[in-house]
Amino acid sequence: MVSASPEHHLRRSQLYRIHQSAGAYFEDQDGTLSVSQYAGNADELGQARRLGLADLSTLSRIGFKGHGAPAWLHTQGVLLPEQPNQTLLQTDGSLLLRLSAQEVLILRALHPASALITQLQNQVSSAAAQHAYVLPRADSHCWLALTGEYAAQTLAKICGVDMRLHKFAQGDVAQTSVARVNAIVTRYALEADTPCFYILCDVSLAEFLWVSLIDTMLEFGGQPIGLATLRQLQPTKPSSPS
Amino acid sequence: MTNNRLPLPFGSLLDRESTVNFSFDGKPYRGFMGDSIASALAANNQHLLSRSFKYHRPRGILTMAGQDANTLVQLPANPNALADREQLRNGMTVTAQNVSGSLERDWRAVLGLFSRFLPVGFYYKAFFKPKGMWEKWVPIIRKSAGLGVIDESHQPGYFDKQFAFYDIAVIGAGPAGMAAALQAASTGAQVLLVDENPQLGGSLNYARLDAEGNAATALLKKMRSDIAACDNIVAMTDAVCNGWFADNWLPIIQGSRLFKVRANQVLMCVGAMEQQAVFRNNDLPGVMMASAAQRLMRLYAVRPGNRAVVLAGNNDGYAVALDLLDAGVEVAAIVELRAQPKYNKVANALLRRGVTVHTGQAVYQALKGKRGRLTAVDVRKIVSQGKCADTGEIIHCDLLCMSVGFTPTYQLICQAGGQLSYDDDSAMFSLNQLPANFHIAGSVNGYWQLDTVVADAQRAAMMATNTIGKVDVEVPNTIAEPDADSPNFNWPIFAHPKGKEFVDFDEDLQIADIVNATQDGYDHVQLLKRYSTCGMGPSQGRHSALATARLVAASTNKTVAQTGVTTARPPFAPETLGHCAGRSFYPARRTNMHYRHLEAGAQMLQAGVWYRPAYYGPVGAAQQCINNEVHAVRNNVGLMDVSTLGGLEVRGTDAAEFLNRIYTFAFIKQPMGKTRYALMTNEAGVVIDDGVACRVSEHHFYVTASTGGVDQAFQSMLKWNAQWQLDVDIANVTSAWCGINIAGPNARKVLQKVCPDIDLSNTAFPFLGFREGHIAAIPARVIRIGFVGELAFEIHVPQHNGEALWDALMKAGDEQDIKPFGVEAQRVLRLEKGHIIIGQDTDAMSNPMEVQMSWAIARKKPFFVGSRSLIELGKMPLQRTLVGFVVNDPQAPIPLESHLVLQGDQMVGRVTSCNYSPTLGKPVGLAYVPLPAAEPGCKIVIRAADGVLVTAEVVTLPFYDPDSLRQEV
Repeated sequence: MVSASPEHHLRRSQLYRIHQSAGAYFEDQDGTLSVSQYAGNADELGQARRLGLADLSTLSRIGFKGHGAPAWLHTQGVLLPEQPNQTLLQTDGSLLLRLSAQEVLILRALHPASALITQLQNQVSSAAAQHAYVLPRADSHCWLALTGEYAAQTLAKICGVDMRLHKFAQGDVAQTSVARVNAIVTRYALEADTPCFYILCDVSLAEFLWVSLIDTMLEFGGQPIGLATLRQLQPTKPSSPS
Repeated sequence: MTNNRLPLPFGSLLDRESTVNFSFDGKPYRGFMGDSIASALAANNQHLLSRSFKYHRPRGILTMAGQDANTLVQLPANPNALADREQLRNGMTVTAQNVSGSLERDWRAVLGLFSRFLPVGFYYKAFFKPKGMWEKWVPIIRKSAGLGVIDESHQPGYFDKQFAFYDIAVIGAGPAGMAAALQAASTGAQVLLVDENPQLGGSLNYARLDAEGNAATALLKKMRSDIAACDNIVAMTDAVCNGWFADNWLPIIQGSRLFKVRANQVLMCVGAMEQQAVFRNNDLPGVMMASAAQRLMRLYAVRPGNRAVVLAGNNDGYAVALDLLDAGVEVAAIVELRAQPKYNKVANALLRRGVTVHTGQAVYQALKGKRGRLTAVDVRKIVSQGKCADTGEIIHCDLLCMSVGFTPTYQLICQAGGQLSYDDDSAMFSLNQLPANFHIAGSVNGYWQLDTVVADAQRAAMMATNTIGKVDVEVPNTIAEPDADSPNFNWPIFAHPKGKEFVDFDEDLQIADIVNATQDGYDHVQLLKRYSTCGMGPSQGRHSALATARLVAASTNKTVAQTGVTTARPPFAPETLGHCAGRSFYPARRTNMHYRHLEAGAQMLQAGVWYRPAYYGPVGAAQQCINNEVHAVRNNVGLMDVSTLGGLEVRGTDAAEFLNRIYTFAFIKQPMGKTRYALMTNEAGVVIDDGVACRVSEHHFYVTASTGGVDQAFQSMLKWNAQWQLDVDIANVTSAWCGINIAGPNARKVLQKVCPDIDLSNTAFPFLGFREGHIAAIPARVIRIGFVGELAFEIHVPQHNGEALWDALMKAGDEQDIKPFGVEAQRVLRLEKGHIIIGQDTDAMSNPMEVQMSWAIARKKPFFVGSRSLIELGKMPLQRTLVGFVVNDPQAPIPLESHLVLQGDQMVGRVTSCNYSPTLGKPVGLAYVPLPAAEPGCKIVIRAADGVLVTAEVVTLPFYDPDSLRQEV
């Protein structure tokens, strides 16, 4: 945990001012600052289990598309789900979302040391030669995590897809509209009984979506949570593909 | 409290420990928590609630179910509130509405005396002559037609929406709904049970099902308990299902939330609506549905009157009479419409209580006292259908309960495609031709006895659960024939020579109005509705549809089935705009530098879906701020956030070929490290977007597009390549990149301080060059282009680095006194340079030749989108062209966009852009003009604001730096 301001870093979340005004403590991740936790919430872990919202936008992620993308990713040791709109956990803990037959999005693990994204970033030139084109997903999309028992109910107020846990399983992906914003939503595995939805939308709408979600969560007592809290809800290293 | 309250167990909704103070028409009253406004007023002997729409007749409680317009009252922020549904709150201020004078003494009530001069459709006949009179009448009619008053200072509340998904949605939680929900839930189905009332149970809460009056209570208690124990039943009370839409999409309103429910199966257990008898003065306060009296007693512990007459066309009336007796009300008589009634156990129990029954008789008219309330009924023998004997008996009473029949609550079912039919024997509507995955049960399906209602509901639930595979048992289509003993009397309509037998209470329509409408030629119910307004009032025909159908059928010699009812459309109950709108989601995009603009004092504007800085400085000094920003760019250095520009990655072995086809220019031989202007036309040769294409590598172009046009450009690219199947991948990366344009004579000087790995000199990095490197340690794409006509570099960096780039450039430019400039200054700068903005200086017909961009067309190319059209257009003379103009008269007003160019009194063109140019010291602009007026030196006349004619001079473009010496240094 560091006290430095995101303003001292070259990469800044669109939301850092909101986090600062909410009393955020930051930690260094991927060369920039992410919210570690917030002051004033003595039970942030309990908050996350009830209803929490975390900003993961400064964590690394990458995308590839193109008709050669699946084959090239395979050569890189990447595991792909058979069907689009499914996820597959990679051996380093990162999460791959197959958005279409020819497009993927890879999110790093909550715990540091996801090597896959760095490995792929170093190969983008050879990827292009194989018709696998890198997409700047770390900058095109913000990345939020909505956690807790009331997460599905919160989404039900702003998203038309049935996100109830028995309908929207771990590993499902929906490319849909959340609060009138195009969004990618997937369910991610945290500890048992704590649902977690990753929501990614156009980065220029990050503040709008954050504010909308916080407002939507009020009914259930939702609050922002930090990355450190989120990590506590996950085993150090996910053991098997979801 | 007054002695109008009944003791327990009456009043199941009341919390008698909590007193509520409120006022009605300025007079203070007290009620209990759980009261509705109407019940609390009735408990205080205030039976007059409103005045009718047309004749301002006194009106009181009719249904106690929120199904009529009689109880419409004004709340401070809510006109047309239903007093029999609106729950009483402490401090509530309630007033009567549609009153002229006072509620007690409404001077417009005199209109009733002239009703024969106000026949059906009178306003169609009366107000259209002489010509022009209609406009005179409109404000008068509107004033008299108004109901409630809108509080214009009211602040909108917080409304929102929620999606919900269920296996089975059961609408209506009476005995049928509850039984269906329990049956469905027993299979494991996820069940939603919806009821508009405050508690589950429907008629079990107020109706008497047996002589002893115990059956309903016992069943209700058990069913509620069973439902509460079911985890897979979600029960919503005070919730209205307000429509049915395709694929079982149900809008359900509860409080300030609209639930958007999608159900695999829908069970409509919505019951039936009691209907009034039609006789003279059937609208007096004190005349009400029998079920309304029961609701008053059982739900609200209100004694509805002291001396009652029950008008019965079925055995339910006898149950009501028993209830009245139990409540201490004297029952003066049962007026039995049936000549040979078939009594059930309940009716026999009543008979044993010694109440007089006038068999085969009707209430011919109700009589009123000084305050307009019922004082007696004139009871006469029925001599034939709708005809009464000439004389009868006057029975004094202050309460008349009408129990003459029901219509199924057909609205939602008909919205789903169900059809109404009518059976002459039972005098009942029934519903059939239901769509798939949609079921009805209970009294809406023609079952009236509790055991058959429950059995029918269980049957429907089993069919629903079978359909979704929860169970697989054989289910009969029907449990039995619908109950033979119909509750409907076939003709409870008795005309009176003096009229005032109301068919539609909302619109004050009498029997003669309906009959006369058919005789005026409006003999179809749909036409009649629009001509007479029957069924168009707040209750939407809930109580007029059946009587109207009967009257129209009789008048046109058709059957009631042939006549039918008017179309029932959503919403079922009144809903607010707030419910429809829900939360106000207004996604507006912000760049990474958004707050830096605000901190610099920017006035933001919305450019399409983006927030952009218009200018920096106070609103009152806008023009001065803009001029200063222009001056800074022309003479020093400025920077602008251009992150909103579209960004497209075009990659693949056919990337150059693809751009060659998409844009008008040539790209095959474009060198790497160079940019080229990219103009996009559609198949018709119309200009639709522009930008620049930067060749990053042999097979990779980074293409910019306009802020508002990038989505269309991207879609167009995808569409065309779906046909061409070139080896190319197109990605819209607009949001992934932030952009800053640093422009002005000192731009290079500033940029050099933070750009160590790109040689920014004019020889190494000439105009239209493209380089990749780092700015302030941030990976960047740098383009030398000059939209503003000065030395300029457009720097694109990853989105999350945008603010850091801004900070670095502002710091680096501090020595040069760098200034941010906004969209307004940019518009001036580009106009001075003669650059057009697609969408502002072009329209849906503009081709490149018209906007003087023939230079951007590579005519030797074999093909590009729009090429064929442009060849054909090139064969024809231009009809108009975009020219530059200046206004030399310093006193003339500055023309604005879309001001017209005139030749004499003919409109020959229009202004597309015009601004005061601080650089030139006069207004400059662009306008479409006909060719003869396009030569430099021509004078054009522009009609500016307030019709002032401004003479402008056509000049050669650009206005500024025609040899581009400044941008290419």
